[in-house]
Amino acid sequence: MMDKSIFGDLDSLAGEDKEKMSAMIGQLQARDSLRMYNALVERCFVDCVDTFYRRSLTKKEETCVRRCAEKFLRHSVLLGLSFAELNQGGTTTD
Amino acid sequence: MAANNNMPSTLDKEQIFGMAEKEMEYRVELFNKYKESELNMGENSCIDRCVSKYWHVTNLVGQLLGSGPSGRPPM
Repeated sequence: MMDKSIFGDLDSLAGEDKEKMSAMIGQLQARDSLRMYNALVERCFVDCVDTFYRRSLTKKEETCVRRCAEKFLRHSVLLGLSFAELNQGGTTTD
Repeated sequence: MAANNNMPSTLDKEQIFGMAEKEMEYRVELFNKYKESELNMGENSCIDRCVSKYWHVTNLVGQLLGSGPSGRPPM
């Protein structure tokens, strides 16, 4: 997941370059968000839905999808934090 | 469905792409069935339900992403 801090210090760039970089990062973040969204839907669908007797989700499937999404999002946050920390030059504890 | 004030239309586009993809898979399956001359109505309605469920999951995840404060990518 994208975090601006992985690109170091943007302020060190000249005005126009900084704008270009910011725009590029913004685009990458948007694309990354959408990728994450699609990957999440795919993953949770595959993990939680395996019967097709009806067109709607069962209560069990719905709960499963909710948990799946929450777990995935928590994982993504932690992953982002770890990468940010690594970028700062810190070490993650075991 | 707006998950973010900046890009509701982009997300909708993605959803539409996702749905289009699923529908294409469904149609290809259907076409292949006709090709093989093995019209299995059970399988066709099964695929229909699969697509429907996938759509439900897409909406559900969209809701969860939209309302969840943490885990959102920093934009």
